[in-house]
Amino acid sequence: MAKTYDYLFKLLLIGDSGVGKTSILFRFSEDAFNISFISTIGIDFKIRTIDLDGKKVKLQIWDTAGQERFRTITTAYYRGSMGIMLVYDVTNEKSFENIKNWIRNIEENASADVEKMILGNKCDLDAKRQVSKERGEQLAVEYQIKFVETSAKDSLNVEYAFYTLARDIKAKMEKKQEASNPAGARSGTHQLRDERPKPTSWLARCSVL
Amino acid sequence: MSCSSVEDLPEQCKLTHKITHDLFTQDGVLLKASLGRPITDLNSIGMLCIVQNMDGSKCIEWRPNDLITIDSDTQDQEWAVVNTIGRRQRTLSGNMTSDYEAARARIIRIPLDELKSFKVSRNNQQMQFSTKQGVWQNTCYFQHGNAEIFLSYLKNHVKTAKTRHDRNTYVVVEPNVESQVLNKSFAELDIFTENTTDVVWNLVSNFKQRPYETTMEAFSKLTDIVYYGEGVNGKREMSDEVADLLTKSMSALEDTTSIARSEEYEVINVKPTLPPRPSIPRGTPLSTEKWDGLQDPEGRITEVEGVKQLIFRGGVAHSIRHSVWKYLLDYYPWKMTKAELKSLHKKKTEEYFSMKLQWRSMTEGQELRFSEYRDRKSLVEKDVNRTDRTHPFFAGDNNPNLVVLQDILMTYVMYNFDLGYVQGMSDILAPLLLLMGNEVDSFWCFVGFMEKISSNFDMDQAGMKQQLLNLQQLMAFITPDLAKHLASKDSGNMYFCFRWLLVWFKREFSHRDIMRLWEVLWTGLPCANFHLLICVAILDAEKDVLISKDYGFTEVLKHVNDLSMCLDVDIILSTAEGIYHQIVSSPHLSDQIRVILGLPLALKPDVPETEPTTFSNGNDIGETEEVTLEYNGHEISVVTKTVWALLA
Ligand SMILES: Nc1nc2c(ncn2[C@@H]2O[C@H](COP(=O)(O)OP(=O)(O)O)[C@@H](O)[C@H]2O)c(=O)[nH]1
Ligand SMILES: [Mg+2]
Repeated sequence: MAKTYDYLFKLLLIGDSGVGKTSILFRFSEDAFNISFISTIGIDFKIRTIDLDGKKVKLQIWDTAGQERFRTITTAYYRGSMGIMLVYDVTNEKSFENIKNWIRNIEENASADVEKMILGNKCDLDAKRQVSKERGEQLAVEYQIKFVETSAKDSLNVEYAFYTLARDIKAKMEKKQEASNPAGARSGTHQLRDERPKPTSWLARCSVL
Repeated sequence: MSCSSVEDLPEQCKLTHKITHDLFTQDGVLLKASLGRPITDLNSIGMLCIVQNMDGSKCIEWRPNDLITIDSDTQDQEWAVVNTIGRRQRTLSGNMTSDYEAARARIIRIPLDELKSFKVSRNNQQMQFSTKQGVWQNTCYFQHGNAEIFLSYLKNHVKTAKTRHDRNTYVVVEPNVESQVLNKSFAELDIFTENTTDVVWNLVSNFKQRPYETTMEAFSKLTDIVYYGEGVNGKREMSDEVADLLTKSMSALEDTTSIARSEEYEVINVKPTLPPRPSIPRGTPLSTEKWDGLQDPEGRITEVEGVKQLIFRGGVAHSIRHSVWKYLLDYYPWKMTKAELKSLHKKKTEEYFSMKLQWRSMTEGQELRFSEYRDRKSLVEKDVNRTDRTHPFFAGDNNPNLVVLQDILMTYVMYNFDLGYVQGMSDILAPLLLLMGNEVDSFWCFVGFMEKISSNFDMDQAGMKQQLLNLQQLMAFITPDLAKHLASKDSGNMYFCFRWLLVWFKREFSHRDIMRLWEVLWTGLPCANFHLLICVAILDAEKDVLISKDYGFTEVLKHVNDLSMCLDVDIILSTAEGIYHQIVSSPHLSDQIRVILGLPLALKPDVPETEPTTFSNGNDIGETEEVTLEYNGHEISVVTKTVWALLA
């Protein structure tokens, strides 16, 4: 059977309730926005296949419910994620402060080498802004994570964010493949001992078809 | 329903002066014909039973109803908790009258070892029995339901073969074949008791000497432990070896039945299966006329159980929902008069507004310094803006109903500050507000609903986890193949049903249908946790897709999420009820399942035994001792007495 994609990446959207995770996903998968979107209960995912440097990359993007107490259940779905979007709402200080908690949550529940990106959503609502772009950038530097402000409503930077995350995952993956490939070692590239995939890493599970 | 196992019918348990024991009873059975009986004895209603005598022999018994009523005042509490598996005998308490004697003379008894054949006809509603080639001596007509459940019980007690030319006629296979079957099956079992750590199998060898059919039942019990009980926890699968051997020994049993196989007969298998699922049609909604008729002149609701039954069967007519729901949600007590309700309403209105005032009078400064309150308020706000906005009642900008939704939820935060607002609550409230249209009434109905499902919102989610676990256990009992499939796909934790359970299927049905489903579930009938059987009913219908397409972890979740708005509420309710009947009449019903559904347990260990045990099999294990068996690294705790009830 002809394969419909070259890579399958599992991505995850996390962040406080109401920051716009579902809206971002809806924008990316359906290219639409709905102001009165339904709140998420439990967990769901959407699929979109994108083209990256001539490779078909199927993105399976998981959307979770935000409230703290549901986390014991939703974290079960973190397993095997290769990339995580950490979303806050620029009009909500608290959601920004919570990004640190979410990062800790990832460290406990996702594989160590998962790719991350911070999104400051609702940047169209400048009048209500509580978190400046600079503070977002600063946080990203602190954690060495890429950052972008988005608007699901105005379709700003949403495509960019997913493409960037997917490209980083792909690059990391190909680098690791090369590192563990003896042909690469013979051709003189330096061997990165520390970068050999740990058995628990996402690389061990990711499907390269 | 007309079918029941004995625990439902305690008053019928002491009918004969001999020491006997009902294994199964079904009421509403008309005696249509009986050879050698006066015509006056015919066409009367009675109960058809399978009875075990003191000596262990069994018979089919038909008893006229007038006999039953005579003895109905002697209740035996202890007996009431004994089910078809627990084999205990009982004696008649001795209030015999001459009427009783006359009625007793009309009992029809067909010893099972004399039964030659039986026939099911007339759309499964008629059964005929024969003890002599070529004559149907007795004909019974099942007025309530049909003969299916009786038939499946009967088949547990006699080995039968269907005749090839008439699929409805069963021929009883020679009873003395049993001992040979037994020997062969255990010869087969011995092959794998080599694995000595396998305590379950050691247990098996303990009752090797027991009569065929009881062993068979015990065996089916064991099969449960192995097939359904243990493997599906997601922790450990039954080893293929054991599965294979079990299947082999099962087929060994079947094969030996074929001693009686001739050109004419086809052997019916003896695997432990659930009784057939009865299909129970839904009823019509409780009408305005009926509802009005159920109130006494002062406005009290009489016959509460009857009302609930009606609602369970068919729901409530929309025009009276706003009234009936207040009772179902424990806002209005059923037994209050109109006048009392009026003052209750006044009181509840005041109470509501005083709670509302508590948060409404919070100043901006207070709010600023009260972050916990602020967080809750903003969470409520966010969800209110995302609740049922496609419904005209909540649609559009600045919709005043959104304010009411918000106010009720905020007042609930004051009412129950420990719980606060948890996501999902706005989904629960919206249909109530939509129907009541009144802030105060909606609030108190919401309080009542939350009372029923508050454990869904536990901080540690213990309530949700417990339900998901119970659901998994029910699945393992009812659709073991699907449970096994899910477990093999990392989905044994049933997390994909989280949304269903959290908001009681609110997201799966249209507004119209969710009202129907909820009002039926609020009756609490026919058992506890019926909503879990709704889950089972939905999943059972998807079983073929999920298994045949070999859906994995993600596909299962997707498929289940995508069922939203594609489900038929009436079909699901009817299926769930059918499943309930299957469970309660299942001969291998476990205590675990009983506990989940709030059914009486098989035995109460603290009830003193008044009668000697029928089966003295030389096995004297302490009666109420608890033993822990180790099986494949699993600890199975059992009360010995229960074990014997299961194995006897
Ligand atoms: N103005 C604006 N509103 C947004 C944006 N993204 C989401 N929202 C709104 O924020 C609310 C919460 O969004 P949702 O996607 O449900 O958040 P989630 O809980 O993180 O999934 C909804 O009312 C959305 O319409 C955005 O980029 N701009
Ligand atoms: Mg969401």
